[in-house]
Amino acid sequence: MNRINWFGFIFISPVLIMVLLFFLTPVVMTAFFSFTNMSTSTGIKGGEYLINQETIKEIKKYNIQNDTIEKLENAGYSINEEGLKIISEKYKESLSNEIKSLYFGEKFSNRKDLERALKKLKKNKIKKTRDRKEIAEIFKESIINERFDSKSIFEENLIKLEIDQNDRDVIIKESYTGWSWTNNNFKLIYSLPSSYKFAFYTLIYVSFTLTFNVVFGLFLAISTFYLPSKTASTFRTIWFLPRILPPVLYVLMWKWFTWDTGFISQMSTYFGASPKNWMMDSPVHAWTVIVLINGFVGASFGMILFSSAIKAIPSSMLYASEVDGANRWQQIWNIIIPQLRWPIMFTTAYQTLSLLTSFEYILLATNGGPGRSTEVWALAAYHTALQNYAGNLQYGLGATYALVLVIIGIIASLFYLKFFNFKDLVTKPRIEG
Amino acid sequence: MNNYYRSWPITLLLTLISLPLLIMFIFQIIDNFTNPAPGGIWPSSFTLEHWRFLWETPKTGESYIWTVTFNTFIFASTTSIMVTSLSMTSGYVLSRLDIPGRKIFLAGLIMLHAFPTISLIVAIFLTLQIMGLYNTLLGVILVKSALELPFGVWIMKGFYDTVPWEIEMAGIQDGASRFTVWRKLILPQVQPGIAALLIFSFLSGWSEFVLPLVLAPSSDVQVLSTYLSALILDDNKFDFNLFKSVGTFYAIPVIIIYIVFQKKLMNIYGGGTKG
Repeated sequence: MNRINWFGFIFISPVLIMVLLFFLTPVVMTAFFSFTNMSTSTGIKGGEYLINQETIKEIKKYNIQNDTIEKLENAGYSINEEGLKIISEKYKESLSNEIKSLYFGEKFSNRKDLERALKKLKKNKIKKTRDRKEIAEIFKESIINERFDSKSIFEENLIKLEIDQNDRDVIIKESYTGWSWTNNNFKLIYSLPSSYKFAFYTLIYVSFTLTFNVVFGLFLAISTFYLPSKTASTFRTIWFLPRILPPVLYVLMWKWFTWDTGFISQMSTYFGASPKNWMMDSPVHAWTVIVLINGFVGASFGMILFSSAIKAIPSSMLYASEVDGANRWQQIWNIIIPQLRWPIMFTTAYQTLSLLTSFEYILLATNGGPGRSTEVWALAAYHTALQNYAGNLQYGLGATYALVLVIIGIIASLFYLKFFNFKDLVTKPRIEG
Repeated sequence: MNNYYRSWPITLLLTLISLPLLIMFIFQIIDNFTNPAPGGIWPSSFTLEHWRFLWETPKTGESYIWTVTFNTFIFASTTSIMVTSLSMTSGYVLSRLDIPGRKIFLAGLIMLHAFPTISLIVAIFLTLQIMGLYNTLLGVILVKSALELPFGVWIMKGFYDTVPWEIEMAGIQDGASRFTVWRKLILPQVQPGIAALLIFSFLSGWSEFVLPLVLAPSSDVQVLSTYLSALILDDNKFDFNLFKSVGTFYAIPVIIIYIVFQKKLMNIYGGGTKG
């Protein structure tokens, strides 16, 4: 018994590991990411602490002590390589060298101390006070624009500047460049009018394409059923090709068909119309083409399923109906369609789910345009998180869009589980270890 | 029962409806070898210049078509072999062995099988970045295989289910181990399934577009689908005949495989299990 179990586990474990890592992890991670504000600017792997002018603007919005900003800007003076380099370029190299030999590495807490020190130079005396002031300013240090990897080091530096607890917390929060936890994505999606538009477009997309798929699939299946088998299989092959061909090529053919140098434009010039892009010139045309592109692929799915279901109808039923004087319409309506009830339901349920989440053909054909009039929910998730013209990819927000689809997917899969005859599936194996 | 109805009206109607597809297919081929008359679409002269991408060395920053083809082949074949070999073993376990948690595995299998994988693309992208597999062919291969596995296991389980128990029992009676029974007696029985799954997942990998686009965008790991789509999006050289020739080049293996293995593939497509 034990030996068999081991054998089974060894056999199944590679699949478990793969599915766990690259299938189930992303399911969980979608939820995880949707509660973050990850974007191109925050990065993915955590961030650092950095005060810049933007941060100071943000900090000023809080109720902080008056001198805090000043403290941040003036963090004392220190004699370092950078400053010395500027001195040798701007003034004399010997001056730079003398400062280096006397004070290299020293720190001064305010400008007066440093100026006093500069007065003591022997070889390169700086006579004017104004010059001493200028040189001192070069060695000014500031916490601004300095990067800190860890929170504790950053906080230590703030403590050194005598910034009080309350203000420290504000600064630490505002200067963090990495991502943080938030539920703003959900609020944002709920409040944005565009999300309702995306949902509405998805509804249009799914309902029209689905109707086209089922009706057209039925039509193809029934009409080829009544044809001689050679003609029938020719038509089935033609309609099956869009499914076989790579999507990029299939959509390319549609682009040629509809764009301004393509077939429809050429035909319309014979009727006096000027060539135009029939795919992208108006939202209605864009939608028509998208439904057709998807529909011509989806119809073959229904066609295959319905064809085999029709073949399974006992021919005696069909003969009997003809003997009873039924014409073809009656035969189709009263015998064939009722027999196709289950395949039709299956196709509808299955394709609803895959259409809700699919965006490949829309991405290739219109990419959501013209404007954003064909931007369905799934495409919005893709554009938000993975590709847009603004360049700032909002991973967190995109994941939130995707999460909606993932949840729909999980619910639908549970439904699928019920739909299936699960008990048949789990009949016990007949050989026990 | 077809005797007293003429079939030509239906044939005519179907031809009319199929006309857009037919026109697209026909011009897809014609345009590979001809130049249209200026300002029109009708072919006027024969040429092979649209195929120059096959022998011309690409400019800097562009990918070489044969490198891209090689990447595509590696991607499709590795995915196919991984999916098939892993499904071969797991399908058997789920079909025949009484392992603890079998019910959960089966329920999970059905759920994952129905699950729309494309909705995971954002999380997969971020996960790969964290893992350091972003922009590598290996990353795309692993992801594609993992997403295809539930389907593969499902198909293989279906094939194992049809093998009569008597074969296995006879083997066990004769003292063979379960592994030997599987390898020597059961595997030959499910060969059609293995072949079908190999071909199907190869085609699926060959045609895959979104995963390479998102997970491996750099030019040295480009595959044919992303190569062609980048070519179409490049405004500098708008040339439908070139696009179509690249498209034909891309689709030739698909068409050949489809013609040769049509019957085997129909086992899977006809199962009505995956859109």
